[in-house]
Amino acid sequence: MPKTDDDFLGPVFERGLRQELNRIRPRNSSPRYLAPAHQHLRTWRFAPVALAVSLVSILALSASVATGSPNPVVWTQRVVTVIESNPAPTPEPGPVQPKTAPRAGSTQGPQHQAPATSKPPERSETPEPARTAEPSESPEPSDHQSGSRESADSSHTWSPPVDDRTWTSDSGPSPRY
Amino acid sequence: MPASADLDPDAYEPGSREDFDRLYRTAYPRVYRTLAAILSDPEAAEDCVQDAFVQAFQAWKRWRPDAPAEAWVHRIAVNRAISYRRSAKLRQVGEVLRRLGRPAQPPDPADVATHGDLLSALRSLPPKLSAAIVLRHYHGYNNREIAAALGVSERTVGTRLRQAGERLRAVLEPAFSLEAGPAFPSDNRELYAED
Repeated sequence: MPKTDDDFLGPVFERGLRQELNRIRPRNSSPRYLAPAHQHLRTWRFAPVALAVSLVSILALSASVATGSPNPVVWTQRVVTVIESNPAPTPEPGPVQPKTAPRAGSTQGPQHQAPATSKPPERSETPEPARTAEPSESPEPSDHQSGSRESADSSHTWSPPVDDRTWTSDSGPSPRY
Repeated sequence: MPASADLDPDAYEPGSREDFDRLYRTAYPRVYRTLAAILSDPEAAEDCVQDAFVQAFQAWKRWRPDAPAEAWVHRIAVNRAISYRRSAKLRQVGEVLRRLGRPAQPPDPADVATHGDLLSALRSLPPKLSAAIVLRHYHGYNNREIAAALGVSERTVGTRLRQAGERLRAVLEPAFSLEAGPAFPSDNRELYAED
């Protein structure tokens, strides 16, 4: 149905409406669609992805620098090796065997701890520094090391692991005693 | 202001940059005025129109000339305005809640009428109704063009125009009855609803 000027609201209303709306002057603002702003929006769509990628690459880079290996497997293993790194400080050949031997030795020779000290001569060059680090290994200790608690305990209360190591590390069944 | 002559669908080629520039030049002021009748904030109206043209520009290649290009832009812009008003209402509700029990009273439609402010009366209507009124009585769209601009059926357009007319009549009749006798001839209402 064609519209008519006088239908419903009438010509007076239309005249008033036109006057009011014609009074409105839109600002001469530059067309926004010409601005590259909306193109920026498109690029910003990938911002989260770019952010995630950059974060991952930073983490990977820092991990490879920290572990010294670009292999991601090493990064995860690193945690495991850290846990096992405590026993590592005694990498000397002796400590490895001790665990099996100790029990045998412990039944017989716990009383004689001093003998172990005689062994060192074989390795006198290398072990010395280690002994200073581990006072318990040297049974003589009671006198030396200014009677530290550990040495005293090891001599009197007999701490098996340490003593056993010394015994086995000597690899000689009979101490110089 | 005849709309159909300016809104020849054949006048624009989809995807043509020059044609879109031309559409912007001719349609921007008209669409802006439509939104000015819906939104009370001129800056918001400008924002909505500019955003509508950006959206239209992005979809310009996909535009099909089965409806007037200006009506198509109108549709985008009116939807933007509706969204804007909805969010503005939510903001107002938030402010009312913040004022704790002392909500500001909305302006009395009678006061609006006595001031003779047609635009204020239009803005007090739901945007879908005021858009239909402006498209019909300012832009001169017929029901088919209004339906294309609002994305509804022609029957819905008739219903909206009738509802909007009744509300405006209730608000504005005292002011307009002073000027011309039967400013709102009620005998045309049934014909109008049949559109």
